[in-house]
Amino acid sequence: MTDALVLGLGALAVLVFLIAIRIPIAYAMILVGGVGTMMLNGPALVLSQLKTLAYGQFSIYDLSVVPMFVLMGAIASKIGLSQALFRGANAWLGWMRGGTAMAAIAGCAGFGAVCGSSLATASTMGKVALPELRRYNYSGALATGTLAAGGVLGILIPPSVVLIIYAVIVEANIVTMFMAAFLPGILAVVMFLLTIAVYVAIKPASGPKGGVASSTEFVEATVGMIPVLVIFGLVIGGIYFGFFNPTPAAAVGVFLVLFFGLVQRKLSRTDFVAALKETAGTSGMIYLIILGAELLKIFMSRVGLPQETAAWIAGSGLEPMTVLIILLIALIFLGCLMDSLSMILLVIPFFWPVLVEINGGIYQGADGAGFGMSTDDLKIWFGILALIVVELGLITPPVGMNVFVISSLARDTPMIETFKGVVPFFGAEVLRVILLVSFPAITLWLPQVLR
Amino acid sequence: MPDETQQGGSGLAGAASLVITAWALLGGLLLLAVVGVNMVSIIGSIFGKPFPGDFELTEMGVAVAVFAFLPYCQLVGANVSADIFTSGASKRTIAFFTLLGSLVALGFASLLIWRMYFGMLDQKEYDYTTTILQIPHWIAFIPILVSLALLAVAAVVTLLRDASALAKG
Repeated sequence: MTDALVLGLGALAVLVFLIAIRIPIAYAMILVGGVGTMMLNGPALVLSQLKTLAYGQFSIYDLSVVPMFVLMGAIASKIGLSQALFRGANAWLGWMRGGTAMAAIAGCAGFGAVCGSSLATASTMGKVALPELRRYNYSGALATGTLAAGGVLGILIPPSVVLIIYAVIVEANIVTMFMAAFLPGILAVVMFLLTIAVYVAIKPASGPKGGVASSTEFVEATVGMIPVLVIFGLVIGGIYFGFFNPTPAAAVGVFLVLFFGLVQRKLSRTDFVAALKETAGTSGMIYLIILGAELLKIFMSRVGLPQETAAWIAGSGLEPMTVLIILLIALIFLGCLMDSLSMILLVIPFFWPVLVEINGGIYQGADGAGFGMSTDDLKIWFGILALIVVELGLITPPVGMNVFVISSLARDTPMIETFKGVVPFFGAEVLRVILLVSFPAITLWLPQVLR
Repeated sequence: MPDETQQGGSGLAGAASLVITAWALLGGLLLLAVVGVNMVSIIGSIFGKPFPGDFELTEMGVAVAVFAFLPYCQLVGANVSADIFTSGASKRTIAFFTLLGSLVALGFASLLIWRMYFGMLDQKEYDYTTTILQIPHWIAFIPILVSLALLAVAAVVTLLRDASALAKG
């Protein structure tokens, strides 16, 4: 092993230590990346890079969609879209056994279509749906479990901030990634609905039928979903069909949520200021991690750690599928300890070169490739798989953030009940990952058709 | 979730918090302005009059806005950390760890003020401008340096807060 590699491994250990003692992940990466490169090549290089590195990173055009989608989601959660969605979905599904929980899932999916964050989706829909679920005597486990799991749809259904960041790291096309996420997202919704159906079939008392909506109520509730359909259709539809690039599309999204909020008089000044503050906190946090990840990447590729790891695993004789499964399990495990965004930024620069190496290089076509698909397709497929598994950390102990958020809204249900309620949905997610791994076409078909 | 009550405080720290929050809100308005530029560009291209330079205005605007968000992130503790490993530690120990975090933030802000000031001078000396609208890049560095100075202030505020928590035990 070379001295550089030893330095790289040592730096990795220090990084883990710093993260473990609550140094913000972004600053831990900045510190280790910066100091590491200084130790390797002397301070002059880093000092001169720092003159423009941060400005360069923050002005990457592809990333400009991130704060806009964050702002769009922040405003969307203040203007009553979630009520309208839930009411509409409940008019359609509420008459069934477990129907109100299904409506909550459908509402989460709809809200996920205008918001790229899991936590925001869980808390916004939770506030709306939990009182209704209680009114219909749903069991605490099913009600809270449904909403904690449903929140994951916020990230899985485009727009998704984590997916944008992934695309920027591996240099994939954001539009293609958004297309690829669509069918797996729909699959998640269908499987969650089926999960509820099975759950209430086994435990009928946990999810009683709601009333049938009157025809006026039905029409009114359905009409109420139109704003979300318009926003999703114009923003994501516009991206899919190539009307505009993601950034202008996100701008349209911000404009539309502001427009609906102001026209329906649902956006107060306090809400607006709160939305701006939320955007500031979230976007600043994301960009700082991006800067840290860049500094770390510069250091790590100088010591050659990702390349060495990739060569080592590729030479180990493991089957490509075995390696993929190991990486996905590692992501699930790490996702239980860390938030998904920092994890994607931290580990994808290590994991992706491994997969490229195994597949046969960056320009590998489908013929003779390790995974039987071109590296470009692998990039898309792995991105979607990674997105799903890192999000599983949101609903598993010890740091299931979605569960925490829902628990804080439903204080009468013990958190352990919520974790129990989440288990069937977790099972559905694992099944979905198996399906997506076995049939890459579910992910890759739509981008091929629309391209 | 950042605790809103942490923002207040008396005297200098309270005043600093207000300025930092206001600066972040200005950044938010700048982001909205970027949204506006993109809307104008879309509407313009529908009527066959595309707005040149929307790309570079977006890049520059978002960069300046994001820098303006950084002090606020430090102030309200929006920068994510992994709390799971130390969830059993005493309040004192945790206050010590967050104090270390504030120190790193302070060091980072000071280093970047120094380096990006020279970065600005470089941009000025070599006359770097955006491609289409010919906006000099160094202009963007002025609000960015203000943001970094406020980030240093925010780090001092959180540092003092952590230190007093540590002293109280």
